[in-house]
Amino acid sequence: MTDKRVYIAGFGIISALGTGSTETLEALASGRSGLAPISRFRPPAGDPLPVGQIQEIDAGKTMPATHRLAQIAAAPILTAGGPPPDAVVVGTTTGGMAATEPLLRAGIEDPEAYRWHGAATVAADLARRFRCTGPVLTVSTACSSGAAPAALGAALIRSGRAARVLAGGADSLCRLTYYGFLSLQLIDPNGARPLDRDRKGMSVAEGAAMMMLTAGDGNPDAEILGAGLSCDAWHPTAPHPEGDGALSAMKAALNQAGLSTGDIDYVNLHGTGTIDNDLSEALAVRALFSEKLPALSSVKGATGHSLAASGAVEAVVSALAIRHGLLPANTGCRLADPALALFPLKTPKRASVRAVLSNAFGFGGSNAAVVIAQPDRFSPPRAAEHPPLRIASCACVTGAGATDATLKKLHAAGSCAGVLDEEILCRGLPPRLIRRLRRLPRLALSLAAEAAGDARPEGVFFGTGWGALSETDRFLTRLFESDEKYPSPTDFVGSVHNAPAGQIAQFFGARGPNLTLTGENDAFEQALLAAELICAGQNGPVLVVGADEAHPRLSPLFDPASAAQAADGGGALLVERAGSGPIVSLRFLSGDGGAAGAVDKLIDALGGDGAGARFGAVLAGIPAGNKTAARAQLDKVATACRFAGPVFDYRQWIGQFATASAAAAAMACRWIGQGRIPPALCAGAEGFDDGRGLLLLGLGDSISAVEIFPG
Amino acid sequence: MEPLLKELREKIVDILDLVDVRPDDIDPDARLVGGELGIDSIDVLEMVMMVEKDYGVKIDNREVGVKVFATLRALGEHIRQNAPELRG
Repeated sequence: MTDKRVYIAGFGIISALGTGSTETLEALASGRSGLAPISRFRPPAGDPLPVGQIQEIDAGKTMPATHRLAQIAAAPILTAGGPPPDAVVVGTTTGGMAATEPLLRAGIEDPEAYRWHGAATVAADLARRFRCTGPVLTVSTACSSGAAPAALGAALIRSGRAARVLAGGADSLCRLTYYGFLSLQLIDPNGARPLDRDRKGMSVAEGAAMMMLTAGDGNPDAEILGAGLSCDAWHPTAPHPEGDGALSAMKAALNQAGLSTGDIDYVNLHGTGTIDNDLSEALAVRALFSEKLPALSSVKGATGHSLAASGAVEAVVSALAIRHGLLPANTGCRLADPALALFPLKTPKRASVRAVLSNAFGFGGSNAAVVIAQPDRFSPPRAAEHPPLRIASCACVTGAGATDATLKKLHAAGSCAGVLDEEILCRGLPPRLIRRLRRLPRLALSLAAEAAGDARPEGVFFGTGWGALSETDRFLTRLFESDEKYPSPTDFVGSVHNAPAGQIAQFFGARGPNLTLTGENDAFEQALLAAELICAGQNGPVLVVGADEAHPRLSPLFDPASAAQAADGGGALLVERAGSGPIVSLRFLSGDGGAAGAVDKLIDALGGDGAGARFGAVLAGIPAGNKTAARAQLDKVATACRFAGPVFDYRQWIGQFATASAAAAAMACRWIGQGRIPPALCAGAEGFDDGRGLLLLGLGDSISAVEIFPG
Repeated sequence: MEPLLKELREKIVDILDLVDVRPDDIDPDARLVGGELGIDSIDVLEMVMMVEKDYGVKIDNREVGVKVFATLRALGEHIRQNAPELRG
């Protein structure tokens, strides 16, 4: 591994301030606000609140607004041409929610109508347009989702896994977020006034920004020097009162960039305008910079808070600041709150900018900070080699129960597919801890508690196909039943994809990186890749968890093929960079298994001809919705690698749910320890207590290869 | 007042899923939020919705909220004084 630079070579942006660099720059130079009362939908009660709305994204198109915003932001990059990106990383929380809400309200039961619901379909759509055949990652860490792709994209390039990465974020206005934040009393009826003495909250917004990150040169706009991720492990929504998590993310970003605070000319604040965010961020910024504060501002009084887009929108605003020497004003702030002592820019300022620190914080205490600099202005960050991830312990949950119950049933050749009774699921979890939680966070906590045991994990990487369906359904049902008057704050807080990961972090006090990734069949593999990339596990073990819940109403609409037999569960691995446990590594991940050459690349990644001899068995994930293609892919891999051993079609036994592979990984880890897989499960199963490992193949629309070898 | 407090006790236990609290356990004069019951800021917002929906009383700022949710009795008193149906 060498010291690699990661450039931003092209970007696109759309927000309430306009479309593209020119309109955005003009708006930023004028200091104007794009906030206006919502007109996308009409709230039946109360005045329409100010939001950051984009007029031209009106209804009636075939794809939901989030997808269209992402396409518009990516358009200049697509037009510029060049080879396809090796990976796509997009942050989003709402996905197709704006389109889903009226469908659910109208009781539409045709799953086809919901095909763009999944958050992961935004990145999948972009990947298809860019002809990307590599990993397609969707980060869903609430309001820090848009900054994490810069961190993951840069890590993909520095690790040598990619030379070009399309990274960004997108979110659109929808009722879930409009009423959700309102129910939390976090909305300023006068429009967001970040850092103002009289601020009352944020303004929800929509937008998107995309960047092409490259390892090459050319004429880049800016360079990503470093990124830092952390978790407050404090509260589901409120930030840490002293800003501890924000501070540690900023410090980690500067540390990775190799910069000192004096190198930062501008801080792009998260600055939502809520009383608590601005206060805790101010404490963190002052603790970091002490008396020597650089120029700083929040643009959310101008753009509104575009949630998962905001981190990416502000990364592009930072790149514009560097490229054009323009520091945006803290629009909306009339009288800076003396209690914050931050002195934000009241008007836009022309100045040369060497480096920007851009913050993004979200629910679940999930924090990200990114350092963006003039290209080649500073030394490249030092690359470091990391030992492989080793599994210290593991756990799974299926319809049969937790790990021991599941394995016992499998060894007796019994099917474990089903929906585990909640009472059994929650055994051992403190009643007060889980009283407000529904099925997915309970699954996740129960997996994490079993896998971690007495250990204290420092980070959490969570993968989920569909997120917290119970909370989402409860929130929307109550919203519609009350004619949009009485949304539930509890259900809103629980509905975000990363709520379970936030709960795990709070339970263990895990203050390291906390990422949630989502995908229809590869969410667990995405989470594992993220853990490898973020180099987690150096200061202690981290949890890699995958889980999904079967929901009687929503699962059949969103994931009809899998919902034919209701089944859920998941798996958790406690991994570390030390110890002597089994070695786990993600060898290959492609978001498009159907693309020409994708399976060949997977075969190459495994070692090609003869690679089959390295494995004692293959655990094949064959999704119900795509069996024919998946079997053909499996045959091709087995033939090319000359693998003649047993193949365990695990989804038949543990259920068709998005993160079934997480449960399979936990079983594989146990079987590695025993040197055999149960003979009753597949023909030809025999002992492989000779150093051979197990191969987990994810097949179908996305394909993946995870290897587990004895330690 | 007592029937209102009894009603509120039952509602609070129900909407907040207070699994290990019985309605009678809620002392009308003890600290309601941040005390032994385990009620936190998100629960307060859930109670705000309930009070508005069931009694027509809006509580939309933090300063008022802190006083109103200090104890069960304070909440009952606030509802009694402000609810259109209970006033007068």
